[in-house]
Amino acid sequence: MDAAALEHLGFEIALGTYLISSVLFVLYFSLKKRRLAEMGFTLALFGFAFQTLALATRWLYAGYPPWISTYEVMSFFAWAAVGAYVILNFKSDYKSAGVLIMPLAFVLLGFASMQPTNPAPLIPALQSVWIFIHVPIIILSYCAFIIAFVASILYLFKDKQLSEARVTEGLNRQRDTGSKDTPPLGTPESTGILANFSLEQLDDLAYKSVAVGFPLLTIGIITGAIWAESAWGSYWSWDPIETWALITWFVFLIYLHAKTQNWSASLAAYIAAFGFMSAICTFLGVGYVLPFLQTYVSVSTGLHGYAGGGAISGTVLFCGILGAVLVLLFATRKKPPNATRAPPARTDAESGPTT
Amino acid sequence: MNFAIKVLTSTRFAVAVIGLIILVSVVGTLYPGGDVVFGSPWFVALIGILAISTALCSLTRIAPLWRDLRRPQVEVSDRFMQALPYYVRLSGVTLTQVRDSLKGYAIRETMTGSTTFLLAQKGRVGRFGPYVAHFGVLILLLGVAIGAAYGNANPYNNKITVIPEGSSLQVDGFALRLDDFSVSYYNNGAVRDYTATVTVLDGNLIQTHTVTVNGPLTYKGLTFYLYGYGVTESGTAWVAFQIKSTSGVPFVWAGAAVTLVGIMLSLYVPHKRIWIKQSDQSTQLGAISNKSSARFFREIEGVRTKLESRAHRLDHANKSEEI
Repeated sequence: MDAAALEHLGFEIALGTYLISSVLFVLYFSLKKRRLAEMGFTLALFGFAFQTLALATRWLYAGYPPWISTYEVMSFFAWAAVGAYVILNFKSDYKSAGVLIMPLAFVLLGFASMQPTNPAPLIPALQSVWIFIHVPIIILSYCAFIIAFVASILYLFKDKQLSEARVTEGLNRQRDTGSKDTPPLGTPESTGILANFSLEQLDDLAYKSVAVGFPLLTIGIITGAIWAESAWGSYWSWDPIETWALITWFVFLIYLHAKTQNWSASLAAYIAAFGFMSAICTFLGVGYVLPFLQTYVSVSTGLHGYAGGGAISGTVLFCGILGAVLVLLFATRKKPPNATRAPPARTDAESGPTT
Repeated sequence: MNFAIKVLTSTRFAVAVIGLIILVSVVGTLYPGGDVVFGSPWFVALIGILAISTALCSLTRIAPLWRDLRRPQVEVSDRFMQALPYYVRLSGVTLTQVRDSLKGYAIRETMTGSTTFLLAQKGRVGRFGPYVAHFGVLILLLGVAIGAAYGNANPYNNKITVIPEGSSLQVDGFALRLDDFSVSYYNNGAVRDYTATVTVLDGNLIQTHTVTVNGPLTYKGLTFYLYGYGVTESGTAWVAFQIKSTSGVPFVWAGAAVTLVGIMLSLYVPHKRIWIKQSDQSTQLGAISNKSSARFFREIEGVRTKLESRAHRLDHANKSEEI
């Protein structure tokens, strides 16, 4: 078997494994069977090992790191995202994060599989030391943002579940005691997959991930600017990629200010989630735009011929898919145990629940 | 006026401006040709407002912070101690032992009557992180402004000039001669790189350089980038160079570096403070950190366990002597 076939095999196995893992996690999210998550995680590890093999093989036979072409960058991003997820689980049990990460990894690999895979020799513009530094640093920052995103989404779910539980508990007590005066409420415990971690832990995890991702993104933007300056004479030219990278940087800048100003944790969670969406837009911009770089150095196209319109449709498509996954998660989510109980008495309904 | 200052120095206002910049940027990338907004005067004004807000924010906050760090409150009330996120009462511990166990902390002490106050601090420099980062951003923006003012005023800036092989181009104070141009290929026929050999002629100074796609030539404030190439009807090779002024660029890099240092300081250097109040009746310890509290509290917990086990041992030894 030659190297290209070995790489292809590893890639295909990873793609299939990530798909099955994603399905298991979605099932886990709706059925709440712990075993499903364990299996999903084991499969993720398995797929990760095969993808590592595929990427290493490619690096060896192509002679340059596997993060240059669209196919490579997407595959590498998926690999790094699953890697970040695996590392996260070495420290503490965040297996349920696979609900968000594995579908993302699968979609990325799926996109990668639709791209041309033949390794092409590096064109002049890409022959820079910065490509070895700039690209992996940016990808690492995105991986940190994925973790921040997952932690924030789990935070918001848990926050919602807790407040719903608090409301239903309050309503139940009102009905049971038949009085409008609500007795002091206990702290309700969340159920299912969200019971593993507290709001504080999720908030802390999100902050720590941003604390890793934000400086990395800053370094990534600066090295990108240095590279742009040396390759086409302008450290900044408001290309869609540069602009989206800056937007992402600004969103996380707001996040950090929200944290130092002690604004509400759920607001911060929303900001972090948006920041990651923005990072995905940047990434897809790059994925779709890089092929245009092939036209580099020709008088007819000029230096910014690569900033084509393909970026936008791809980005919208991807964000649509991501949004659909989120909606699916929201729809299949089990309601808190008490939420389906009978509504309170008439008089209470008028006054509304007191919390 | 006071109201204007209050608005401009508030974080909410700065965040609102950033939000507006984000919105405009999103719109700018969504429409083909939408990138004209980034050059429009009102977008520049928006960035300018953000710069002013950043500067004022920092200026109004840095003086109180400096005072606070220079002359910190060492003598604190019991209420203050008890309100700290970490608070314990220690028993049988001497101040000397406490001082020895707090390695790497800057320690201040005062005494009032028979009560001794001790404040141990670490990572004060981290508190300046945000302002260092703000300062860096301002230097960067200054570089951008210098580039816009002087770079664009330079008649050679952004010019694309064609030099045929053997000819030279006269620019401000020196000339650039194209000696040779070559294209190198990979085995499969794809282009590996384009290389132009040029000579700078500046009075008595004659220097030969090579210019490649990722390796432009910078000389006397002008940078020459390889832009295109071709062959004339008479069979002479020519190379097109794009010329850029380097005005302001060093400020941009310096600003970026300072910003990065500031970000690192503010994210990775927590400011830790430990107060100890020892009177005849009791020894109290209270602590606070501006971030990563869990790890800091574990650190103090470790110090405390060590101190108290030693105190316990001493106590035990004294008792056995009595027997």
